[in-house]
Amino acid sequence: MTNEELKSYIETNYASLLTHNEAGKYDLLFIVDAANLVSVCEKLRDDSELLFDYFCNLGGIDTTEKFEAVYNIASTKKKIRLDIKVILPHENPAVDSVQTVWPAANWYEREMWELYGIHINNHDNLTRFLLHDEWDEGYPMRKDWDAPDFIRFPDL
Amino acid sequence: MIAIAITAALSDILSSIGLSGALLSVITYTILAAATFGLLAVLALILVWWERKVAGHMQQRFGPMRNGWHGWYQTLMDGLKLLQKEDVRVETRDKVVFFWAPVMCFIAAFAAYIVIPFGDGLIVADLNIGVLYIMAITSFTVISLLMAGWGSNNKYALLGGMRSAAQVVSYEVPMVASILVVVLYAGSLSTVDIVNSQSGNFLNWNIFRFPFGPLAFITYIIAATAEANRTPFDLAEAEQELVAGFNVEYSGMKFAMFFLAEFINLFTVSAIATILFLGGWHGFAFIPSFIWFFGKTFAVVFLLMLFRWTYPRLRVDQLMEFAWKFLVPLTFLNIIIAAVFKHFGWYWEL
Amino acid sequence: MTDLRTEEFEINMGPHHPSTHGVCRLLLTMDGEKVVKVVPYIGYLHRAIEKICENRTYAMCIPILDRFEYVTAMSCNYVFSLAAERLAGIEVPERAEYLRVIMLELNRIASHLIFFGTTAMDIGALTPFLYALREREYIMDLFEMTCGQRLTYNYIRVGGVSKDIPEKFIPQCRETIATITDKVEEYKRLLNGNPIWKVRTIGIGKLDAELALAYGVSGPILRASGVDYDLRRDDPYSIYDRFDYKIPVYQNGDVFDRYMVRLDEIQESCKIVAQALDGIEEGPIRAKVSPNFKPAAGETYTRIENSRGEMGVYLVSDGTKKPFRVKARGGSYPHLQLLPEVATNCLIADLVAIFASFDVILPEVDR
Repeated sequence: MTNEELKSYIETNYASLLTHNEAGKYDLLFIVDAANLVSVCEKLRDDSELLFDYFCNLGGIDTTEKFEAVYNIASTKKKIRLDIKVILPHENPAVDSVQTVWPAANWYEREMWELYGIHINNHDNLTRFLLHDEWDEGYPMRKDWDAPDFIRFPDL
Repeated sequence: MIAIAITAALSDILSSIGLSGALLSVITYTILAAATFGLLAVLALILVWWERKVAGHMQQRFGPMRNGWHGWYQTLMDGLKLLQKEDVRVETRDKVVFFWAPVMCFIAAFAAYIVIPFGDGLIVADLNIGVLYIMAITSFTVISLLMAGWGSNNKYALLGGMRSAAQVVSYEVPMVASILVVVLYAGSLSTVDIVNSQSGNFLNWNIFRFPFGPLAFITYIIAATAEANRTPFDLAEAEQELVAGFNVEYSGMKFAMFFLAEFINLFTVSAIATILFLGGWHGFAFIPSFIWFFGKTFAVVFLLMLFRWTYPRLRVDQLMEFAWKFLVPLTFLNIIIAAVFKHFGWYWEL
Repeated sequence: MTDLRTEEFEINMGPHHPSTHGVCRLLLTMDGEKVVKVVPYIGYLHRAIEKICENRTYAMCIPILDRFEYVTAMSCNYVFSLAAERLAGIEVPERAEYLRVIMLELNRIASHLIFFGTTAMDIGALTPFLYALREREYIMDLFEMTCGQRLTYNYIRVGGVSKDIPEKFIPQCRETIATITDKVEEYKRLLNGNPIWKVRTIGIGKLDAELALAYGVSGPILRASGVDYDLRRDDPYSIYDRFDYKIPVYQNGDVFDRYMVRLDEIQESCKIVAQALDGIEEGPIRAKVSPNFKPAAGETYTRIENSRGEMGVYLVSDGTKKPFRVKARGGSYPHLQLLPEVATNCLIADLVAIFASFDVILPEVDR
């Protein structure tokens, strides 16, 4: 299945759930509503045409106005790839855990919670692990994070 | 013979200055013990150096090269370094046990040499229960390892100590069973008698002599490797699992005592193999007997070193299974068959 | 007789332990020799690579990402360059593609050699480690000859590679891969028939395909579990479609199969390098790219097949000189996450073997 076929397949079958976004270069990027995330992921995994059985990566993005969580998923059987993005408000961001769909998401979600402060609902073990246990200096990957010894590289 | 001559000369001198009886034998044996101790200390240094050379050459490198010709006094320098090191003592240790464990290990390793004949007549004391004595005294090593494991108050050390206890106790059985075959044919527990029973042609050596001699030798070597805590049975100090096992908390001279004791043990098991299976000091007449003894023993040591740098390590349950399900039945069967052969006289005496 | 009272105890394996391959801490709950529970703790090597990259230009990110997975630093260089090229739409010259493939495959071989050595060492055979490093040294020599570095190369740049290979590289490289192909056979002879090696590896740490996929396992571990999935073929990048090579797949998913997959991969990589050396032609080695180039706004998740599984970079550009977001994904991260599932209720010696067979490298996990 090529990217165009995948795009048209998703646009016909998931029209109400996923909206295509032009920001995705080379790969397909779809936006999903935070409320539908887990159900959409389950459908994508179980759809016999797609079989997204493989969770590659989850990354948070701080766009300073919004938070975004990007799920990079792939299918080992159909050899296709897809990015789905959830856009979250900057105040009290929270997203549902997808570890019921892909257990691999567990640590990625933990990491996103730890570094971006995006709360994960229904996560089984939301504890610090990259930063040290007594960390109380906020969420370091946020764009507005600052610390006395953090020197921004000058604009060239 | 040299020892006997020296002893005789010594007692002559001592009695001429008016000493006799108990005091005389105390002084004589003290001097003999000191001589043996000195010999073994040098031997341990040589063995450590040799092990490093063997390992190096097996691994496509040279091993120690800097101190002297091919690094011959490297171990001496290492010993000096260990002497100068701080003796780190963990606060939570069991003080008495922690202190005595390396001492005990050291003593147990050296005490076995009372009955080991280095050559014709080169023996401290020819006990009539020699082999039994060796088995008993080398078993003390396991107590010292257990003490080290317990006294360190460290979980890795404790696991190492427990492993070594289980392992040494298990492998003691096939080891004794292999030795029993030899004792059965020699008809004596004295090490000198056993060696003398193998005199003459090399076909008289126990390894060639009986139909089941080779098997007994192989089972003995396997059990001895385990007894000396060497790969593939070095579970007590498996550094990839237990960091260093029982000696993880030891440093400086205490560590050096464990380390030297390990090499003395290696030499002990090889010396026993020489005495029991390879004809002890016997060889061609024109070469001195102690050279034959050391040559054969070093050959066995070399074999054990080759094992160490070739094989992976067994897992603890596989180790136990191997001992109890394979080695013990095999050695017992060997004893029974050897006894039957002995009873009917189906063996040669040249 | 009443039963003896026994107690489970906790033991800290790491952060500095010989067989955790770095600074990983495993909190083990033990019942004697048996591991009842494993909890991995990471973060001892967290260097905030992602945050640092947001603060640098694209060209400056590459040496930072060298430290992301330093055993295969070429892959780190490559995956970031590839992502930046995809965002900026840069075409890479033919010769550069060949050089990249040669370097990536040589680095894969070097990494698998390290795996072979350390796994054998963790299972107790100390000698193969030295043999593996001896062969790795030849590859290090080739890298040193090309880019002057032995560990963190900074060789593959956006738009091409930094330097052309010296004249003697090709004959020496041919010699090296011929040696390594032979030596791998020697390794197999050294260990595969050894009964102790067999009982220590066969049937240990079984991982079935379903669990592996659920946990995002990739690379040789996934292929050892019977899933035929290799990004070089299934999500093509660079010029891998021009070469003829097999993808070794084993079915049992135990320690032995993971080891065999990697040994076979060394030989397949040697084939790729040989073909690339045959196919390479003269030409430019770098596209014209300004050091302060600005890719168009957009985002991409780029992934390649590294020796430890899928290595990916999620790169977001906002149209400025600096990347807006760099999310590096290493293969070891999900593998370490999976460890409790595989290693629970095994003996501590098996835990060490399983950990070694996962070939986890901690800088990749902690970033």
